[in-house]
Amino acid sequence: MGLVDKGRLPKPLTTLFNMGRSYSLWVYQWGLACCAIEMGAAFGSPRYDVMRLGVIPLPASPRQADLVVISGTVTDKMAPSIKRLYEQMPEPKYVISMGSCANCGGPYWDSYSVTKGIDQIIPVDVYVPGCPPRPEALLEGVVLLQQRIKNEDMGARWRGEGTKAIVREPIVVGGGPVE
Amino acid sequence: MTDLADRQKLSYIAAQAADARLNVELETEGMTLNIGPQHPATHGTLRIIVRLDGEQVVWAEPSAGYMHRGYEKLTEVRTFPQVTALVNRIDWLGSFANEVPFILAAEQLMDIEAPPRAQWIRTILFELSRIANVSLFLGDLGVQLGAVTPVFMAFRDREYVLNLIESATGGRFHPNFDRIGGLKDDLPAGWIAETKQVMKKLRNFCDEIEELLFGNEIFQSRLRGIGVIPAEVAKQYGLSGANLRASGVDWDLRRDQKLPLAYDKVDWKVWTHPDGDSFARCWIRLQETREATHIVDQLLDGIPNGPIMAKVPRIIKVPEGEAWVSTENPLGEMGYYVVSKGDLGPFRVKIRSASFNNISIVPWVLRGVYVPDVISILASLYFILGDIDR
Amino acid sequence: MSDDSTVAELPGDALREGVVQALRDALGDALLDSVIVPQRDVWVRVRTDAWRQAGIVLRDTVGCDYFCFLSAIDWMPSPFGRGEDDPTQPAPERDTEIRQGVTGGDTRMQVFARVTNIAKHFGVTIKADVADDDTVVDSWVPVYAGANWHERETHEMFGIGFAGHPDLRNMYLPTDFEGHPLRKDFPLLARLVKPWPGIADVEPLPGDDSEDES
Repeated sequence: MGLVDKGRLPKPLTTLFNMGRSYSLWVYQWGLACCAIEMGAAFGSPRYDVMRLGVIPLPASPRQADLVVISGTVTDKMAPSIKRLYEQMPEPKYVISMGSCANCGGPYWDSYSVTKGIDQIIPVDVYVPGCPPRPEALLEGVVLLQQRIKNEDMGARWRGEGTKAIVREPIVVGGGPVE
Repeated sequence: MTDLADRQKLSYIAAQAADARLNVELETEGMTLNIGPQHPATHGTLRIIVRLDGEQVVWAEPSAGYMHRGYEKLTEVRTFPQVTALVNRIDWLGSFANEVPFILAAEQLMDIEAPPRAQWIRTILFELSRIANVSLFLGDLGVQLGAVTPVFMAFRDREYVLNLIESATGGRFHPNFDRIGGLKDDLPAGWIAETKQVMKKLRNFCDEIEELLFGNEIFQSRLRGIGVIPAEVAKQYGLSGANLRASGVDWDLRRDQKLPLAYDKVDWKVWTHPDGDSFARCWIRLQETREATHIVDQLLDGIPNGPIMAKVPRIIKVPEGEAWVSTENPLGEMGYYVVSKGDLGPFRVKIRSASFNNISIVPWVLRGVYVPDVISILASLYFILGDIDR
Repeated sequence: MSDDSTVAELPGDALREGVVQALRDALGDALLDSVIVPQRDVWVRVRTDAWRQAGIVLRDTVGCDYFCFLSAIDWMPSPFGRGEDDPTQPAPERDTEIRQGVTGGDTRMQVFARVTNIAKHFGVTIKADVADDDTVVDSWVPVYAGANWHERETHEMFGIGFAGHPDLRNMYLPTDFEGHPLRKDFPLLARLVKPWPGIADVEPLPGDDSEDES
């Protein structure tokens, strides 16, 4: 859009776009281990339904996804696939790291075959701690991410200043309000 | 039954033909298909490399290791309670069931037995974890074959069981509740009545699934006669659990082994099926879930009173020795060979996980099979990646 | 031969003694040791060159048609302890004596397997030494087809070769992985790099006579 390229995005329009984006996130579920079951419960079960938040858990491929939830232990053998998956996603993209294995290696911190956290490979926006985190914790992570998206500067993002240029402190669920 | 025998013969002939086709010079270019490691149908990160000739599989090879976390090395540097907490995460759907054989092996080495109340409650929680595990299998079975509805029902009914486990142990899954000598805590008040209600709901769920899935014509024609595993081959590969019983072998570790669990105090039945095909495997799991609800009902009526923990020292050092204990876990036979040297932690633990053996038969069973049947055979063999890769 | 059968009249006992006797008849002096825990389990140890023959005897004569698992044990105590040392301090004195377990042994590594007789409800654990300088044993794949994957895993974890195995490549680890993780001299680097923060100093409760842990 012409407005965005020239950097002249007025505030009401940004707010509208951000609201639209945050309430229509398409989540690609990269479920690896036990956290995948809790993610399945959060996204697919009738009780902790995630669709009421506007998040659709059914994209056909990573190329159609806004958000990826990496849940479960990441091993060194699996890491290249995750990197490739992340690169396939179009901007703007967000990453939620679910569970302590994806956050920092978790109970397998001393293993010879486990990557100690996926933030070693891809940049993470939200950390959801737990082993496994309750489905409500994951939904809290999604809600906090939505708050951040609503406060985002869209112009900076679309000018091509990708994820590296924007200094974003990752959110940790349970760590207080987000601005 | 003639229909079934023809299908079995056909698939056997197809397998022979597939083997022979490799030698034909006029062979068309085959295609190598890579299923996984991220695939909705593979229950996790299993990668199967399949070489195809048209629609038929000529050669298949699972490539495991995408979830290999190095359990056996990690157990060597942890103490016994720490290992119990870690070991929950091998079969991550029915987690309590993973702790039990390890704790039993440690108790065997220490030559103590948990008090009867603890044994009964252990058995109840074991069967609850079996129900939680297999009810998700039944839901997922639909998804593998294209029927999406049962999985929502499965998640909904599983929530009841997880609530029960959570109210007793504190964790929805990964309860980490078993201790050497007994259990961590006693049951909360009102748990027994609540569990009886939940068992009724689970029986309704089994009936619903039976009507919805198993009675369906498409389901039957996709699974009957597919992936036949004869009993001899099953035993050679070490298949266990429902996979073995579906081939007609009457072997159930709950009945055939003398362990300090309460299975001999209740009346229950072992289900077998003579066919050995995918349908038999799925059908047996359904019956076993229903049977598990009956076992839990009977156990709830008779829990003895008494202490929940035997007299053990506060800091447990297990004496030197070796012990092997295996139990009938939801996935099959899971066992731990614990070698201890009198230390705070084990010296070596060999974890015999059921899915490792169950999946080792995949190269054999997938020869000559059509591509959609690959998925249904894998679905019926039922594995959890954490169990294969440890 | 050491027999732990102090309680002699129990039926489970006679069954397992029969098993050991059948093995002794078939293998002769290749059966090096056996231990029976009455009503519970039986362990046997055979000579390394009789490993495959013992498997065949177990399958055909003793009737153990169900293959449970196959793996190995490294009996050397770990030079890193439990990885809880402070790297700024000199390493503490550790026990380096290699003591093998239930049926004894002469070498650092042993390969062991378990097979079950489904009809008669018993299982046998069988062990064999693996020579320190020539870590190769015969493969069990011709005996039990399921041994294929187990031997691949044992090979990559311990470095033990299996002669006659059709396809001995890595099971779990990527092909460029160096080292054999389950050997005791393979360190867990994350534990060596910084001092272990979780050492609990447990003091006895008043009136308790359990020991300190440091």
